[in-house]
Amino acid sequence: MAALLEIRDISKAFGGIQALDGVDVAIDAPGIYGLIGPNGAGKTTLFDVVCGRQVADRGEVRAEGRAVGRLSPDRLARLGFARTFQECRVFPDETCLDNVLFGAQDKRLGVEWRQLLTRGMGARSARRDEAMRLLTLVRLDTYADRPAAALSYGQRRLLEIVSTLIARPRFLLLDEPASGINPTLLNVLHDFLLKMYEERPIVFLVVEHNMPFIMSLASHIVVMHQGRVLTTGSPADIQRDPAVIDAYLG
Amino acid sequence: MAQALLEQIINGTMMGSIYMLVALGMVLIYGVMHVLNFAHGVLFMVGGYVCHFFFTQVLDSYLLAILGSMAVLSVIGLALERGVFRRLRDNLRMQVIASLGLILVIQNGVIAIWGPNALQMRITTTDIRVPIGELSFTLQHFLIIGTVGVTVTAIWLFLTRTRIGTALRATSQNAEAAQVVGIDANRMYVASFLIGCALAALGGALLGPLFLIFPTMGDLPLLKGLAAIIIGGMGSIPGAIIGGLGIGIVEAVSTLYIPTDFRDTVVFAALIAVLLLRPQGLFGVRVRGEA
Amino acid sequence: MTAMTALTAMTAPRAGRLAIAIVALLALAAPFLLADQPYFLHVLILTMTFAIPAIGLNLLLGYTGLVSLGHMGFAGVGAYTTALLMMDHGWSAVPAMAAGAAAAGVLGVLVGIPCLRLRSHFFIIVTLAVGMILFALFNNLDGITGGAEGLPGVPRPGPLDLGFMVIDFRRLGGFYWFALVVTLFALLVQYLIVRSDFGRSLAAIRQDEILAAARGVNVFAHKLAIFGISTALAGLGGALKVMFLRVAAPLSFELLESINLVLLTIVGGAGYLAGPIIGALVYVAIPEILRFADAWRLVLFGVILVAMTLFAPRGLSGMIEAGWRRLRRGPAVTGEEAADGRPA
Repeated sequence: MAALLEIRDISKAFGGIQALDGVDVAIDAPGIYGLIGPNGAGKTTLFDVVCGRQVADRGEVRAEGRAVGRLSPDRLARLGFARTFQECRVFPDETCLDNVLFGAQDKRLGVEWRQLLTRGMGARSARRDEAMRLLTLVRLDTYADRPAAALSYGQRRLLEIVSTLIARPRFLLLDEPASGINPTLLNVLHDFLLKMYEERPIVFLVVEHNMPFIMSLASHIVVMHQGRVLTTGSPADIQRDPAVIDAYLG
Repeated sequence: MAQALLEQIINGTMMGSIYMLVALGMVLIYGVMHVLNFAHGVLFMVGGYVCHFFFTQVLDSYLLAILGSMAVLSVIGLALERGVFRRLRDNLRMQVIASLGLILVIQNGVIAIWGPNALQMRITTTDIRVPIGELSFTLQHFLIIGTVGVTVTAIWLFLTRTRIGTALRATSQNAEAAQVVGIDANRMYVASFLIGCALAALGGALLGPLFLIFPTMGDLPLLKGLAAIIIGGMGSIPGAIIGGLGIGIVEAVSTLYIPTDFRDTVVFAALIAVLLLRPQGLFGVRVRGEA
Repeated sequence: MTAMTALTAMTAPRAGRLAIAIVALLALAAPFLLADQPYFLHVLILTMTFAIPAIGLNLLLGYTGLVSLGHMGFAGVGAYTTALLMMDHGWSAVPAMAAGAAAAGVLGVLVGIPCLRLRSHFFIIVTLAVGMILFALFNNLDGITGGAEGLPGVPRPGPLDLGFMVIDFRRLGGFYWFALVVTLFALLVQYLIVRSDFGRSLAAIRQDEILAAARGVNVFAHKLAIFGISTALAGLGGALKVMFLRVAAPLSFELLESINLVLLTIVGGAGYLAGPIIGALVYVAIPEILRFADAWRLVLFGVILVAMTLFAPRGLSGMIEAGWRRLRRGPAVTGEEAADGRPA
């Protein structure tokens, strides 16, 4: 059987800088995968390649056997790839609830036009309960009718994650979900992600600098360094690996 | 035919030089601030009026009037940068709207002060004819070409040889990287607006005596300048210079083959053709992340 | 607090609906109310001929975040198509207007296919260039468009027999109703789009294109669709204008008119359903309100506009909305206050 997600020999250079230099990652089963490495290791670039924002110079990405490396971000999103951004992106003018409901919306132009002409609101109201349930889990239910711009940074991160999960993705890529979140919300986030994984076990790929957070969350860790995969293993193995410690200190 | 062609090439080089000044100023401002200043054409026009004012009322020296006009426009540019455009950074839509509003303010302000009719500025260089074979041009034609040639060379040396010029170019190529290496972005904005507006004033002051000074004299230079910076590759300084000159020559020569009514259409059709075939412009480089 | 919110949630739309109903009734009855004031009817119709292209532009500028500086050029395509179909081919008004709108929309799509993939700066300049080219064609293709003189004698729709009354569209009062129906149609299109999933995707594109794409929105296809609809609405407005003025002339569709259209949309409030109507009303009424020297009036208009970009980017509609909120429940909750009130 083909791997769920296979990243094979991906390279990407910007000008003279080799951001990715032959990255291989194969994910065979659902799970929470942590992607760590020092700044500039190429983690975000790898996300951008997998989600179609960048096209790799070399190599390929396969999802369940299908080559997806050259598809556009919106196409990939509709195929079940959902991501958050390192800088945290939400729609500032929309309310929290609308942000989440938009995540659930079928954005194919044809579907949207049929909805426009038939005035069908069924799908939207059906998702309302689920949206409110998820917002409650991250303690944003009281902010449901507030514009996202009114949230604190940490709350916006949680909103961003909820907005991706409601779409029921098959691959969820989180870029530093814990950064900028206060300790209380950090626990909320941790429990929320575990609960979401239990409800629907899919591939979570999480870039994170907060080591205690990622080590307790992830079942597998991939370590990147200078555009390559340094090593992979369980959190316990990684924490003992001298090569990893060298990479971070050197 | 060869005579007519030569005549149009010289006319085109003269107009192209004017477009060059406009395009160079706009590309500096666009590159550094990512502001598309549609009011650049009316600043060009004000440059002509201020020059006229200094020449007839104060100084009686064309050279000093030009310099005075450039100085006044630099101050206006500074005020616009501080008062309007700096506050609208990162909001493309509102920058465009604000610059359209400024067109209304400045163009009608000029009409209110000087009236809607064209002003004439009598200087000796428009009366002296320079014969070339059977053709003859005013000395002003060559004064324009020469002045622009010297100015553009000076700007180029400034951008490549001086510290602040290098910083300007660096900011225009990569604003974030420039900030990382410690270039003060605000100083760069000021510098780009000062130079851009001074160049616009120079253009208006040079063209005014030849083709009269009137409230809409900057409209076509603005549009041709816009076309030049796109054809030349948005943000490319050499592209804007070559684009401006090229547009001047192409539109002048086109009048030999196509009715004059369609002269401007030719330029914009060329612009769209370039965008279709080479979206990054003739001299531009495709930059990552640009859709 | 909750009771209070529930109360406003229930009453606000009701008050809004009431206001809309009153405005609609007044609009419908205007020919009777203003029977001896033909000048006001004239101004109202003129307002509508600006409001319809402005609605098209609002969908683009206010909801999707795209700037078009050549929209009146597309209005001209609709206008000349309609005029030629009626004058040379004997089409009746409604199908001719539909064809005019379709022609403008198709041209919009054809322009959009290569240009909407460009960065937004490029797109703005291209729309400007397209507007200029279209004007040059209107002004110079004497054989088709009548050149600078234009096409005089554009007919108005034939009379409509309702059984109990006959509406003569050639008279001012009758044509007013015709214009009103066309305007209501444009408003309906705007309302349906804004309140739909399609509209939500457009709003997403305006706020963050990269995020919209990451959430599954095909940004290019959506932009192309709305550009086509927007230019078609512009064409519809152009068609109405030449029917009203009884002449299709290039000056109605020049670059300056396109720029004025952008400005009036902003002043009215881009991104509000009523924005284009308010903007068009102000734009047509301002010369009447400010009866002093022409040039200084436009200077003042420009100053107000620049000030609006800096201090009131939501235009008059936004100011009305903010004022209404303040009246109802004291000062509006700002982003900062809301963030301060968050649980630790």
